[in-house]
Amino acid sequence: MVIVKRKDLSLAERLWLPEIGRALSMTLRAIFKPKVTRQYPEEPLPTTAVTRGQPRLRILEDGENLACVSCGLCEAACPAYAITIDGHETERFIEREPEAFEIDMLRCILCGFCEEACPKDAIFMSNELELADFTRAALVYDIDKLKRPTAALTGRMDYFYKVTNRWRNSSSTS
Amino acid sequence: MATKTFEYAPGPNLAALNDDPLHGEIMQLSMGPQHPATHGVLRLEVELDGETIRRLEPEVGFLHRGKEKTCESLGWAKFFPHTDRLDYVQPLMNNIGYALALEKLAGIEVPQRGQEIRVLLMEISRIAAHLIYLGTTAIDLGAVSMFFNTFKEREKIYEILDAYTGHRMNNTYVRIGGVFADVDEELEAHLRSFLEGFRGEVDTFEKFLTGNRIWYDRNRDVGTITKDEALAWALTGPNLRGSGVEHDLRKAQPYSGYEDYEFEVPVGTVGDCYDRYLVRVEEMRQSTAIALQALERLKASRGGEVLAEDRRYVLPPKAKVHTSMEELIFQFKIVTDLSLPRGEAYQGIESSKGELGFFVVSDGTSRPVRCHIRAPGLYNVQAIPLVAEGRLFSDMVAIIGSLDFVMGEVDR
Repeated sequence: MVIVKRKDLSLAERLWLPEIGRALSMTLRAIFKPKVTRQYPEEPLPTTAVTRGQPRLRILEDGENLACVSCGLCEAACPAYAITIDGHETERFIEREPEAFEIDMLRCILCGFCEEACPKDAIFMSNELELADFTRAALVYDIDKLKRPTAALTGRMDYFYKVTNRWRNSSSTS
Repeated sequence: MATKTFEYAPGPNLAALNDDPLHGEIMQLSMGPQHPATHGVLRLEVELDGETIRRLEPEVGFLHRGKEKTCESLGWAKFFPHTDRLDYVQPLMNNIGYALALEKLAGIEVPQRGQEIRVLLMEISRIAAHLIYLGTTAIDLGAVSMFFNTFKEREKIYEILDAYTGHRMNNTYVRIGGVFADVDEELEAHLRSFLEGFRGEVDTFEKFLTGNRIWYDRNRDVGTITKDEALAWALTGPNLRGSGVEHDLRKAQPYSGYEDYEFEVPVGTVGDCYDRYLVRVEEMRQSTAIALQALERLKASRGGEVLAEDRRYVLPPKAKVHTSMEELIFQFKIVTDLSLPRGEAYQGIESSKGELGFFVVSDGTSRPVRCHIRAPGLYNVQAIPLVAEGRLFSDMVAIIGSLDFVMGEVDR
């Protein structure tokens, strides 16, 4: 336990004038200190692989199909009920793909639970942060607005694999 | 607005009342919910006799979002982002409090390195929350430059959290069984340089305020809460310690390995706003020391696990999900249907405002039966009439600031 010291004011502190002088000297010194303000819209925010921006869907290396198989796990993991998926069957080797995949960006809280839940590496948090539009309907993003080539998400994927590489000394056989 | 004249018997603090030209004229004033000095959407119904507060009634609930009920419908794991939004100046602290309650219920042991990172995050959050207190209270009392200085430091903390979690606020980086990501060397170095510089900054804050006559006059012997009153009104945290009760959950009921850290609990003597201010400033120094100790430990435990290996509650490694059927099943099971064993658990942690407790009840299914949040801010709000009645109206600003609550947590 440490009892905090309550000091009484000294005479210099009770007389206003020396204190005003001290305050002015502090202000003057602050003028020459480096500026810390960030001019946000002019200077864009620096983003890294760690940045959890808006979720985006990954297009497979073939350049046309989504990695998503519409299993609905991200929909189940979303705490804000922002994701809606409709799936259908395909003729490809991977038998399912989303017919409609909508993320309501007005509801999305960028928590990253969808990315964590996805078993197919189909959804990742991109480094896209800005989100503005003129209507609410335009902010419900569909597949066309959400899909990104793999190259755009590689940085985040590598980071995510590094972070979730847990239980390295696991004794479990699975 | 009804006005009537009445005879008023001045209380102990009303010696100067007779000088008040407005004495005898009662005014009903509704302060808030949009008033900047109420630190959020708190409404205060004040009955004024001239400049003196005759009666004061805080009205809460303007930020009620039904968090406790939301937990019941969302399930255990999906409630984490909601805990961020309780006391939004220290999201990671709330995350950890909730995670600790669930871990107690499920009997999960967090790995050593996970606990160390948690302690580090909690202390960083405490510093950030106290910086908000200091800045906003000071600006309410007229010290504008103080606000810029504290927010400059807080910005550094947010940048560190941004580099660690990817978000500045509402981090959601704590999971059942530990924390989501490890702290790497670069971040450790960044944190160390911040914490070492921060010691000097706290001294600067004290230079600004402690000997400042305006700050001194407006805080000294204002809003005095005695030891007994503080206990009777269930105050915790710096508000209780400012009144001279040595009670800190980090010492009294250690969690996350706090018993292994060396730190002192600052305690006041009188219990006025000035004491609470001194206690918080000292707490920032102690938090810095704890965080530095945690960094030392992190250096020793580098390479350790940060999440418990428990396949009932923790998502398996992502790479294995693609290759192993077992892990894929666990992945689906945990995301869609994470259930905790039947029972109940309470875990309180020492947040920057006081005892933040989570009481969780489970019936063995994936839907919580109850999740009660003991928000320290609510008790702090309740203490406003206790100390503000009979004081000057302008003292109320100092009192509200020094009791330090965040409405997100009070109304939840």
